[in-house]
Amino acid sequence: MSYIDAIDKVEVPRPPKYYTPPRFETVSGLPIAYRREGSGEAVVLLHGAGFTRMWIPLYQMLAAGCDFIAPEQPGFGETPMPKWFRNFDDLTLLYDQLFEQLGLDRIHLIGFSMGGWAAAEFASFYPRRLKSLSLITPVGLRLPDNPGVDIFQLAPAELMDRLFMDKAVMRDFLPDPDNFDEGIHLYSEFSAAARLMWAPRYNLALERRLQRLTCPTLVVGGEVDRLVPNEMSDRYAEVLPNSRLVRIPGTGHEPCLERPRELADTLLGFIAETK
Amino acid sequence: MNRLRFYFFHLMPYPYIPPAADIDSSWVSLSNKHYDPQRGRILYEEYIDQLVASERYGFDGAVVNEHHANFYGTMPSPNIIAAMLIQRTRHIPIGVIGNAIPLHGNPLRVAEEIAMLDVISGGRIISGFVRGIGCEYFNNGVPPGDSVARFDEAHDLIIKAWTDDGPFTWQGEHFYIPNVNPVPRPMQQPHPPIWIPGQGSLETLQFVARHRYTYMMVFAPLWFTKMAFDGLREECRRLGYEAPKSMFNACVPTYVAETDEQAHREAKAHLSWVFNTGLKIPDQLFFPPGYMSTKSFRNFVGALKAGKVKPQQQLSYDELVKDRYIIVGSPETVKNQLGEYCDEVGAGGILAVGSSYGPMPNWMVTKNMQIFSEEVMPEFRASDGKPDYLREEPVAPRTRAELAALKGRPPEAARSRVTGADQLIDHRVAHLPEVIDASMRGHDWSRDEERPASAG
Repeated sequence: MSYIDAIDKVEVPRPPKYYTPPRFETVSGLPIAYRREGSGEAVVLLHGAGFTRMWIPLYQMLAAGCDFIAPEQPGFGETPMPKWFRNFDDLTLLYDQLFEQLGLDRIHLIGFSMGGWAAAEFASFYPRRLKSLSLITPVGLRLPDNPGVDIFQLAPAELMDRLFMDKAVMRDFLPDPDNFDEGIHLYSEFSAAARLMWAPRYNLALERRLQRLTCPTLVVGGEVDRLVPNEMSDRYAEVLPNSRLVRIPGTGHEPCLERPRELADTLLGFIAETK
Repeated sequence: MNRLRFYFFHLMPYPYIPPAADIDSSWVSLSNKHYDPQRGRILYEEYIDQLVASERYGFDGAVVNEHHANFYGTMPSPNIIAAMLIQRTRHIPIGVIGNAIPLHGNPLRVAEEIAMLDVISGGRIISGFVRGIGCEYFNNGVPPGDSVARFDEAHDLIIKAWTDDGPFTWQGEHFYIPNVNPVPRPMQQPHPPIWIPGQGSLETLQFVARHRYTYMMVFAPLWFTKMAFDGLREECRRLGYEAPKSMFNACVPTYVAETDEQAHREAKAHLSWVFNTGLKIPDQLFFPPGYMSTKSFRNFVGALKAGKVKPQQQLSYDELVKDRYIIVGSPETVKNQLGEYCDEVGAGGILAVGSSYGPMPNWMVTKNMQIFSEEVMPEFRASDGKPDYLREEPVAPRTRAELAALKGRPPEAARSRVTGADQLIDHRVAHLPEVIDASMRGHDWSRDEERPASAG
């Protein structure tokens, strides 16, 4: 079977600011878009459910201190969504193969939001591939007393409002509401997110599987996250072996965009300690 | 002369909610604290009475449907209402249009329930299958992106369960059932007629054409219904056949009164409620991510942007009337407009005729039914005014006497081994002394000696 035949082809618009053309690495017939710059320790960052296709300030800052690689998950950015792609297991295997093909043996793995869940899944299956694991406002665990808001029920404006504590930085990254193609692409990215996360919004096995980790782990939370409850990062920090929790002041769910300098320093500092 | 069938399509709205301006949505997010079961009970009673009455008035079918977590239509389980209707009506077809088959954990449940209804009603069931609208996906764990694939697979499974002798194993992508063997099987052969509601998407038109099902256009302007129907006719021709008129049904709420003016006076507030309040649904709830393919979503948003279609909640009453979402007026006006509907789109049936629109009071619904049946319906019927179903032979004998005359003794009498008897006992005569007494000889009824040793 050719996986390429089973891919939903979409027109991918380019964000007006911070766009850079990606490189592609074909894995299982799927051309995975990724961006890679810098030298030193190999650091991979798995993005959240949006703000793709951009070489954002955080990436520039991280690339100044390491060999920084940011792949785009199936259905996001310029990586197409294959029909066979169903769940985090598929994603984990895809990343393992991607890292293999990019010559990455042991890495520092960072995951943000949905990418935090993806990073936690990867870590639980391949703990010996990791030198460190950093999760930024991740999702994926069950909070019995506080399931949080249903992101798929939020109107776009409310979603944006909840993402940022610092509304001033929001403007640079907001999708252009008048760009027809961008609206369609957003829907397709959300569809890709829903394929992984519609139900359930957690993996109950994760808490147990994460006990396999031996590397140092860092959890970064926002100051007041109005999208994913702060308890989520608390819970990750509780569950992860060898973990530390840091909250970045002035941030909501998007420390990556809201306080890139502080976040980059925190991440690079942590990586330096662990290498 | 134009022939049309008229179906009394009930949504069972619950209208005691805040005005549209004060709520974000009447679906998904509007709290069920607004539902008062005491009011709900009286409403259900009236609505069921209205559906039952549709037989007396001469409608071609009484139709119910499935929706969840909303106030526009309070029938999360339409088969329950259908079960009541088959008990309180005699001959009228009952449409369940339809069961939302992708939403159920085991589609076989739908196959079983429809088969039960079909057998009990003597083959009066029309079985509709739907994906459920986008909102429905917030109520369960089915990802909206799986909707189409689950619909297709559930459909194939249900049809096979109805038509192939069981047991067999179902090895699907979304459903695995080791032993498919539903009892009962449906009365109608090979299975009840199937209707597929749609919003004009090409995928649905092709599905309907392939299976030669009946297509049912949901609320839409006339030009859009025409486009969809033309598309379906084209798809059927591509497959080598001319689609009969009976394949095309349109959903057009209709209200008739003494004069045009009086009809609008009576209907305006209630019909507006259906579209502006009952269907007040924010985009993100109407199109959860993946519910539409990116391609379909692009086409749809493109049409919205180009001003070709307007969200239903924003339609003014004048637009509803002008674009023929609804037909309201004197008997003369309604007859003419229904006639035009037939001519322009080639419809064979009209649904949502005369039912309860939003908060419309019971007396008004009854008034509409009576004037419609007496002054409009006959125009589209043969001179005797009969609905077609009364001309057709019933699928099954209606009485025990007919059954006996037709089938005689059952092909296999029930027989079983009884303790103490040497031979199989025929249950029809199992109570006669010469049959059963031999097995009871020597039995001391004061003692419990017949209990098998293993039970001790």
